[in-house]
Amino acid sequence: MDPITILLVVVVCVIVGGVFASLGVHLLPVGGAPAAMGTATGIATGTIMLMLGAAVTGLFTASTVATFSKNILLVALSGAVGSWIMMGVTMLMANIIYAFGAGVVPVSGRVEVDPITKEPQTPYKTPQCDGHGVPNVSYISGMVGAFIGGFGGAFMYFALLNYAKFEPTMAAIAAIGIFVANAILAAYNIGGTIEGFHDPKFKRLPKALFSCFFVSLFCGVFVGMVAFIGGLI
Amino acid sequence: MGEEEEKKPKAEFKFPPDETGLGIISAVIAVIIVILPGLPAVLKAVGVIFALLWGADSVRKTSKYGLGTGVPSIGVLGMGYGIVGALLGIAFVKFMGPKLGTFSSVAALGGVLLMGVLGYISGVFSNHEKIIAMKIPKLERGMMELGMAGTLAMLLEFSIVAGSLNFADVVDKAINTGLIALMFVLSMMAMFHPYNACLGPDERRPRTLMSSVEISGLLCLILGIVLVATATSLWSGVSLIIFSAIVWIVFYVKFVKACMRESDSVVGTGLIKTIE
Amino acid sequence: MPIEAVAMLFAWMLVIVFLALIACMFEDLESDTGSQSNPNSQVQLAAQVGQVHRFFNKAISGEAPAYAMYCTTAGVIAYVLLLKEIHPILAIPIGAAVGEVFHVIFATTAHIGRTAGSKRFEQPLYLDVLYGHLLPIATHGFMAVLCIVSIAYIQSNLGTLSGYLPVDGVTPLDHPFALPMLAFIWGITVGAIGSSTGDIHYGTEREFQDRPFGEGKRVVYHGKITRYADCGIRTQKDIVGFCAKYGGPCTGMTFGTIILFENWRTLVGMMLGRFLPAATGFSDIAAMLGIVIGLVIGIALIFGNVAFVKWARKRYGPFVGE
Repeated sequence: MDPITILLVVVVCVIVGGVFASLGVHLLPVGGAPAAMGTATGIATGTIMLMLGAAVTGLFTASTVATFSKNILLVALSGAVGSWIMMGVTMLMANIIYAFGAGVVPVSGRVEVDPITKEPQTPYKTPQCDGHGVPNVSYISGMVGAFIGGFGGAFMYFALLNYAKFEPTMAAIAAIGIFVANAILAAYNIGGTIEGFHDPKFKRLPKALFSCFFVSLFCGVFVGMVAFIGGLI
Repeated sequence: MGEEEEKKPKAEFKFPPDETGLGIISAVIAVIIVILPGLPAVLKAVGVIFALLWGADSVRKTSKYGLGTGVPSIGVLGMGYGIVGALLGIAFVKFMGPKLGTFSSVAALGGVLLMGVLGYISGVFSNHEKIIAMKIPKLERGMMELGMAGTLAMLLEFSIVAGSLNFADVVDKAINTGLIALMFVLSMMAMFHPYNACLGPDERRPRTLMSSVEISGLLCLILGIVLVATATSLWSGVSLIIFSAIVWIVFYVKFVKACMRESDSVVGTGLIKTIE
Repeated sequence: MPIEAVAMLFAWMLVIVFLALIACMFEDLESDTGSQSNPNSQVQLAAQVGQVHRFFNKAISGEAPAYAMYCTTAGVIAYVLLLKEIHPILAIPIGAAVGEVFHVIFATTAHIGRTAGSKRFEQPLYLDVLYGHLLPIATHGFMAVLCIVSIAYIQSNLGTLSGYLPVDGVTPLDHPFALPMLAFIWGITVGAIGSSTGDIHYGTEREFQDRPFGEGKRVVYHGKITRYADCGIRTQKDIVGFCAKYGGPCTGMTFGTIILFENWRTLVGMMLGRFLPAATGFSDIAAMLGIVIGLVIGIALIFGNVAFVKWARKRYGPFVGE
């Protein structure tokens, strides 16, 4: 391919990675500090940490797979599945600790009836709390979010590795840098906590996608320039 | 030798200038050190300290208003941009190398400027009421400064480890060895840890900034150890270790003493009470 | 390449899983020893609502960046020592020790900084709390960082350790990332998991142990943490012993399970895709099989959660009480 095409491909891949990171953040059930006290629904940690933790787990598998596969979809899907397993196990174990360690039933605070399993939520909720644990709807939303986020991260990694011709470590750190910037903008958009796609805050999604599109566009152009004028392609 | 010269400007930080003043001073010092890659590693460490001090001050003034996701996020954002900007900077140096000759490092400032632009744009996106609407005063400026400070710090760290801003050297010595991960994580710590650690209604700016200098000292200490192990000239590494150890000890002791002096009371042990 | 190499690969994978289990368990216990991350907001708040306490306020950002820092520092030192041809048995613990020195420095600045920052709430700085917790923090953290750096070392030399020989200067199955980068990645992950699962036991249960069991902690309780121990005044050290019985091991199991599933599916995919034992060339089938196995595991997890939530709801019933 000629350099201009490569540049375009890199930019597109970085945009996909950034926008997917933003979308993934919106789907994760994150409760922040209140969740650690069982006062809010979601995982008891910060949005960015959780997304980054899931994405780098996927990135690890994706980078292993990238040593024996040159198919961008397979590499990205490997990363996506890595993130999805990480998220799945984490949320399941969080529920187990909530149930056996604190005696709390996972329940959503934003909806009265679980949109997927149709289980009533309100009677199980402690008064003055905003839900606790990871109910089924948030669990599925979180799995989808981790899948999308991991896909974005691994997609970006593959593009930087094989199209921009970065070395593996350089590609990984650049991908993490761009990924985290987008994830943080998305986290600002939701104000730090969200329950999943059924949360009213999810309606703010287009704003984050808009911002992340432009930020990723710039980052993609910059990274493409690095590869181009650095003489890597 | 190098240590003595650099003690003087930092002694002023007991009474640091205001936010704009500190930003300008730090930026100018860091920029001057970036464009002169022949300087000894010790002076580059001074540049790193100033760049990260600037970043820490920006984090402080931005997250004073509450970000919703905790203080650390904005420091991570700054270093995320810093990585991209520094890569861009060294690429520019390579591009402009044949034209500028010995002054090719000036081109690295292109990366710094572009990151400033990107930081400003993301600040506008975050603050604009029709987009993310965080409504934090001067967030645009804060994010711009963070992007620039992150890039400057990263460039200087590259320059310490690789000895110059030559693209191939930096990629070979600083990035592919994984050292960039250390620079990323410790620089962001130097930016957000001070304000995060001193958070509270009685937070005081000089005390917060002392902590930043102390962490930058630790960062330079590790870079010095790496230099001793990898570089051809042992002296630059050893001098860097000595300098950063002194910086760390001085500011750590100062910070601990300041905190102990300014906390409500320091007691060996004691019972607790409930205050109405 | 003989079949023994494949057996060695699986054996090393299990070693990694074991190390991961230990690492994340100690990571969580360390975060309880120092009160880090999200439950620490209550320790911070306690002084503000007038409850002077003897907790250790270790506010070093979230656990993910903090552990990324200790592990990367340890990884860099170990990497530098390995370059100097020092044996890994010596290099990795030295690296981890340096990482813990950093940890202790950050812990001190965070605790005294936060205490000084809440001067107006009359929270004194108890020196015995400060000094008495530094060593437990360092020892717990040392275990976690040691295991993570060992994982990074094994993974970056997996092929060599399993008996593969270099092809064109690159040993197959050695991970392409440098050791510090792997330490960074696993540091972030171990911190993220330790903070998402282990903190619940500390934050929901142990911090509010004099409140009713079996309910989320109401907003009115916030800041009013349990300050008295079984005997005397509670410090963080009383908390570790409690969390070590449930929260810590569960957290360790979480990370261990993740690493197990991740490595296992990749290796099984490689084996079924006939990429192993030769480990040269390209094999899309291997990647595809790995993805399919991962998807099956994930779907099983979803059903597991649905069943678990259903069981818990039936067993515990609707909320009773005020």
